[in-house]
Amino acid sequence: MITNFDNLCSELEKQELEAPNGVASPTTYAQLLAIYLYQNDLCNAKFLWKRIPPNIISSNPEIAAIWTVGQKLWKKDLAGTYQALAIYNWTEPISNIIRALEERVRERALNLIGRSYSSISHNTLVSMTGLSNEAIAQICKERKWELSEDGTTIKPIPPVQPTPLHTSSEDQLFKLTEFVTFLEN
Amino acid sequence: MASPLEQFVNNVRTSSAAGHFRDVLELIVKSDEVLQRNKAHLNTVLETLDVQQHSLGVLAVLVAKYSNPQGTNEVDKTNMYSKIYEFITNCNGEQVRLEPDLYAELCHQLTDHLIEIKQPIRGIEVLKKAIKKIQLFDSQLTSVHADLCQLCLLSKCMKPALEFLDTDITGIGSELGGNNDSKHFLLYYYYGGMIYTAMKNYDRALYFFEVVVTVPALVVSHIMLEAYKKYILISLILHGKMLTMPKYTSQVVCRFLKPLSVAYHELASTEHAAVKHRETFVRDKNMGLVNQVLNSMYKKNIQRLTKTFLTLSLSDVASRVQLTGPAQAESYILNMIEEGEIYAMINQKDGMVVFLDSPEKYASPETLCVLEQQMAACTKLHQYIQEMDEQIQVNPQYVKKSAGSHDEDMPATSQNSKTTYSM
Repeated sequence: MITNFDNLCSELEKQELEAPNGVASPTTYAQLLAIYLYQNDLCNAKFLWKRIPPNIISSNPEIAAIWTVGQKLWKKDLAGTYQALAIYNWTEPISNIIRALEERVRERALNLIGRSYSSISHNTLVSMTGLSNEAIAQICKERKWELSEDGTTIKPIPPVQPTPLHTSSEDQLFKLTEFVTFLEN
Repeated sequence: MASPLEQFVNNVRTSSAAGHFRDVLELIVKSDEVLQRNKAHLNTVLETLDVQQHSLGVLAVLVAKYSNPQGTNEVDKTNMYSKIYEFITNCNGEQVRLEPDLYAELCHQLTDHLIEIKQPIRGIEVLKKAIKKIQLFDSQLTSVHADLCQLCLLSKCMKPALEFLDTDITGIGSELGGNNDSKHFLLYYYYGGMIYTAMKNYDRALYFFEVVVTVPALVVSHIMLEAYKKYILISLILHGKMLTMPKYTSQVVCRFLKPLSVAYHELASTEHAAVKHRETFVRDKNMGLVNQVLNSMYKKNIQRLTKTFLTLSLSDVASRVQLTGPAQAESYILNMIEEGEIYAMINQKDGMVVFLDSPEKYASPETLCVLEQQMAACTKLHQYIQEMDEQIQVNPQYVKKSAGSHDEDMPATSQNSKTTYSM
């Protein structure tokens, strides 16, 4: 289902720049805005929002709805983000991007919790992930996060870093030779 | 058609056909007045010239046609964009590179026109093409760069400028260098700094403003003053203090810029300056950055705590950095962990925060990768410096000067060397 958003992004950017009279179609703006949010490129999203002509915004409530999500992300208000994501009935092709965006935001939040909390209350976890109690129980199990005896605090474990990509020793040797030849000359 | 114009067209056609572009150049310079006087007939002239074959001639006609915006009629104005667009897309790069001044002039005219009709975004693609056409190599700065940045800022569409800004400049186009005025050079770095600031790439922004402020100068320009103000603000956001200016900064900077930006210097020493000089900051349109400075002060204070304490309760953090309560302290710390600015663990149950050391052991493949990139960058820089050094060594003026200074004791030989080198 997930198409390559990066390619789509550069295509949309091109569409906007080449649009006659400098005004692109509402779907172009909406998709581009959603993709910027998906890429967590909030600066570009903010400026895109500022440059969309007002009449397009007023006739396309979906664009405004996407930016409401952007605003919450900008303020790092995670609970508000999930709320803003859930409240609007997204249409194709935006809904596709929005689904991926929600996934991404939650994944980032979970990683952040793992890195920065040694113990966290159940309520905070709910508001930071926007998930139901059952879903949280499931995630805790997957990530081996322990629930304390009183049932209100959880002890997260830092996420394991993905194993780094392996570079061949030949490649390293090549770089080393290059470096030494530079030093010698 | 008036006869001097006819002559102009014929000369352009014959010289271009013969490949004598130098002659065309001379012709253009001479016929400027003729073109200006016969504005009404320029459209007919354009029809007789081919964009690809007579690029230089067309360029001269276009510049003359649009040189005086008041005199240009409405029809010309409406198709100005498409005319220039067509020219930039189809013109012969080799020919126009002979006359970069005029080419840049045409781009400036387009920029002004688009700003006037409030459609700056349409110019971005054209100017990108224009820059690529006139550049001899990717890292050459032209005076069109500043126009592109200006359009990007005005249209609030910054991304297209980044590919140019991210390339470090190693050469300067002839229309920018030499004895020409430095306006477009300063503007490029000033606008570039503003774009990076908007993108929150403060490191790079600081560098760009530094370039503006450290340009060798005998008089202060307004661009420098504004860049200096922003330099102070970015430096405060990034480092929490004012960085000292590099040694090669011109004297005028200390002498004139500092007294003109007192409010900014005060902000470095006390936060109350933000309230006291509010009017100045608002007038300079720097209030947003000032607010970010204040925000970053909290962060700097929290960072300072990590140097003194191992564990601290959230309410202690709040009172020490003057936040409203433990909840606000928690959100600050959480954001800082996310940005990688501190390493800490929050324990919500006890309301404590444990400050950790950086988990980086500098033994990972990523570190190696960063190291390799840095080394490659240094090697490249070394190469550039060596090339530059070689160029200077063979520069007749340099040789003359350095040889001349030694020869003062030996007047007989100095005569000789001077005649040899001044060739």
